[in-house]
Amino acid sequence: MKIERPSSRLRDPELRIDGSQKVTGRARYAGDVQLDGMLYAATAWSPYPHAKIVRVNTTAARQLPGVHAVITGADVRPHRFGRRLLDWPVLAWDRALFVGDRVAAVAAETPRIAEAAAGLIDVQWDELPAVLTPEEALAPGAPVLHPDLANYTRIRASTDGADRPNLRAHQAYRHGDPEAGFAASAQIFTHEFVIPRVHHGYIEPHAAVVWLDGETVHVVSCNKAPFELRERMAVALGIPLESIVVEAPFVGGDFGGKGTSIDEYILYFLARATGRPVKHVMSYTEELRATSTRSDARILMRTGVAEDGRILAHRSEVLYNAGAYAGGMPVPTLLPGDAMLTLTCYAIPNVKVEARAVYTNTVPTGHFRAPGLAQNAFAAESHVDLIARGLGVDPLEFRLKNAARSGSIDVLGETWRSDKFVRVLETIARDRAGRKPLSGGHGRGVGVGMRHVGAPGSTSLKLTLGRDRTVDVLTGASEQGTGVHTVVQRIVADELGIPWSRVRVRYGDTAEALFDPGVGGSRGTPLVGGAALRGAKALREKVMLIASSGRREGGGSEDLATFDDAAAEATRDGPIEVVGEHRTEFDDANVYAYDVEVTVDSETGRVNIVDVLLVVTTGTILNPVAHRGQLEGAFVFGLGSTLMEKLELDEGRVSTLTLGDYKLPTIADVPPLRIVRLDREPNSGPFGAGSVGELANPGIGPAVANAIADAVGARVMALPITSESVWRALRDAGRPSKAT
Amino acid sequence: MSAFEWHVPATIADALELADRYKDDAQFVAGGTAVVLLFKSGLVQRGHAISLHRIEALRGINLEGEGGLRIGSLTTHREIERSQIVRAHSLLLATACANVATVRIRNQATIGGNLAHADPAQDPAPALIALGARLIVTGLEGTRTVAAEDLFTDLFETTLSPSELIVEVRIPQAPVTSRSIYLKFLPRTEDDYATVSVAAAATGDVAEDLRVRIGLGAVGSTPIRARAAEDVVNGHSFSEDLIATAADAAAAATDPIEDGRGSAEYKREMARVFTTRALRAVAHNS
Repeated sequence: MKIERPSSRLRDPELRIDGSQKVTGRARYAGDVQLDGMLYAATAWSPYPHAKIVRVNTTAARQLPGVHAVITGADVRPHRFGRRLLDWPVLAWDRALFVGDRVAAVAAETPRIAEAAAGLIDVQWDELPAVLTPEEALAPGAPVLHPDLANYTRIRASTDGADRPNLRAHQAYRHGDPEAGFAASAQIFTHEFVIPRVHHGYIEPHAAVVWLDGETVHVVSCNKAPFELRERMAVALGIPLESIVVEAPFVGGDFGGKGTSIDEYILYFLARATGRPVKHVMSYTEELRATSTRSDARILMRTGVAEDGRILAHRSEVLYNAGAYAGGMPVPTLLPGDAMLTLTCYAIPNVKVEARAVYTNTVPTGHFRAPGLAQNAFAAESHVDLIARGLGVDPLEFRLKNAARSGSIDVLGETWRSDKFVRVLETIARDRAGRKPLSGGHGRGVGVGMRHVGAPGSTSLKLTLGRDRTVDVLTGASEQGTGVHTVVQRIVADELGIPWSRVRVRYGDTAEALFDPGVGGSRGTPLVGGAALRGAKALREKVMLIASSGRREGGGSEDLATFDDAAAEATRDGPIEVVGEHRTEFDDANVYAYDVEVTVDSETGRVNIVDVLLVVTTGTILNPVAHRGQLEGAFVFGLGSTLMEKLELDEGRVSTLTLGDYKLPTIADVPPLRIVRLDREPNSGPFGAGSVGELANPGIGPAVANAIADAVGARVMALPITSESVWRALRDAGRPSKAT
Repeated sequence: MSAFEWHVPATIADALELADRYKDDAQFVAGGTAVVLLFKSGLVQRGHAISLHRIEALRGINLEGEGGLRIGSLTTHREIERSQIVRAHSLLLATACANVATVRIRNQATIGGNLAHADPAQDPAPALIALGARLIVTGLEGTRTVAAEDLFTDLFETTLSPSELIVEVRIPQAPVTSRSIYLKFLPRTEDDYATVSVAAAATGDVAEDLRVRIGLGAVGSTPIRARAAEDVVNGHSFSEDLIATAADAAAAATDPIEDGRGSAEYKREMARVFTTRALRAVAHNS
């Protein structure tokens, strides 16, 4: 691959162009929007996991002074919404399918009046038997959550594999001959792992304002994919795409949770009923109770190993508890994006992988940073460690022996074109060799993974060179905190050889900007950055062409050496505009590994992480500060999933309803982190860059579990790894600990 | 949050008079870090909030010779944590206060509010129990003194009547040979509530006549004084067996609730582990 190298200027730390707006509070998020006559929404919701709605009495709510409208399921029927499968009713009209499912909504002059009115809505329920786990939901005779599934609208989605009631999605993959592979294996290892339901934990709760201006529907939202939301609203509400304008300038934390909009649909009906702008900002309790969480999973792994320690056959069965609706799922399979990428990074000749997602009467699920991998990595890398220990082989050596190299076929049949995974493992081996031997009670563990460097998509930017020689770049990609606008600025400035400050990046809503698929799937740098590079090149060509033809006509003879000289010449007759358009495919990935050292207090089970090494492969780095920040952030994010985060479901009710109960790590909880970046191989994005945001969060969990096993011989098979779970594992292991 | 009237009395007498006037519809507010959350969540609904923040008589840290240390109930955790007087007199209390939540909360939350809130997982109560602290409580009927361990009756409940205020915390002068420790078990995050906590203070000769007081937090519906464990130790000389027996007695006195910080079984076992550790620390080397 031929890569154009950027100038050394890109190694300088970036100045984030959204930074000053954010630290001074000038950045306007959806929750900041205030409009004349604006009303506030509140909702009434089901207290039961599964219940028939017998009657909804809104009389008292309507009579409360300050209330402008009350709507129920009857007012929105039959409108359902969703990113691929439109199965989520705007307000439930016949049955509520989870605790928190909305059945009525109020628009009132203040949030407090709206809440009070919502509390006055009297719903007569007929509680129905609920299914709370996939096993219950798939059992014969289980209540069917979506009897009309076949009739739901789909947007380029398929539920073909889902041939049983409540089975929402089923995908399978195989290559080689797994049965023969197992038969030929010297040893077969089978383990089952449990991954809990979690929430993304972003700072900004969902917020949106909707109003109608004639036939035009205006939406200000925290949705990270404004063009997608526009299309989904058009389909769900049956209104023309052109009459919807969505604006999402800033997203206050996403991690996969801000692709799903829930309130916007309700707000549309309330805005239509009142003729006023209507706003809703979720409380964090609503966030934890009723948004699109990360599905919990039960993952069974079976691997056959030959006498020489090579993997001969592998089988994975991933069972996702998908919750009540699939509306939050953004990919056509209606599974987490990498649902079947289980035993990643290894050469596997014979394999069968299956993934299922099952409807249950629990809070819905959707995407979550590195979807699928965030669940699968714990199972896969714990499994690999257990196999190595079962064989009496050092787990790092076992990984090296089975590592996918150039030419290897991996778990999903991809042929590897790189030895980058081996280099990552060798880097860890070298680091270990240079360290003191572990003292008593200490243990080290590895967890590895991979991530594509950008989901497919296409985007376009508009670049305008003004007479002041500055370049304005208009993008429909929201800044969700990762620095994508700064990436655009630096690419354009570097390509044109002009100071950073001469490139201004501006966000435009769906009426103004050209189409963008949204900042998801790690698309920011490869896709939006790629469009920036193409746009800059197109601008240079056009400028040079205009300037040189102008010179010829004017009879000038000196060369137009720089873009600057040409720009002055070319813009004499006015600004010059070009479009940078780019399209990407899945064609590249990065890999990483953690090596974690822990001590374990054998009396309490408390795990103390004393050292973390993160080795990653990376392409060219465009925003050096953000690149490191993404890796550090992924580590802390993964640490929360590893040690403490669990959305507790008690009979279907989320019981961790505040951030006091749903604990997230704070900076005081973060152990030291060493990062080594291997940058020998460029990625396929602009200047050889790739994405980094979803690379490294999944692997920390298994690395910690493996380190605990190394330290004290106790094995935890479920996340989160609480002190109590380690204490129990130690007790169950019934063996004296190495700890002193 | 429902609407309420905000009262700002300048004296204790005015505050008590307001509390008596509105009875069950009134709520005292000190630092407000806990009670405002209860208001906002709707768990506590009152028509009248009586803020104590203007009452100067409730402030101050004073050493009263033989009488010990007197801390006004409106003193913040941060003030106690940083007070040289408290640190010299009762390092155990300063340490326990330094363990409360985050610095932002410690700058706002008060010792009196903390005790009246009666959250069993709070840090100061076990320390005050171990230090033999007494609380001065005043109401329209008069003033009474309550031992720290006798204040609490149930989850978020105390012997305080709705129109009584804690005005002062008194900690007796400790013998010069005293040793103390506060252990807060925090397996999740640094800003969390304790899974269990143990405060222990010891005096006397480890070889002949140990005297200990032990306070436990987060092990039941109230903070408790582990009297049975104290009885095992008191009057004896240090040994690992003695401490093990005492720790078993402490664990037996617990009645933990299962929550996100652990099962009842685990918390009881952790009470045993941390009582052992605390006693080793205070009863071993003088």
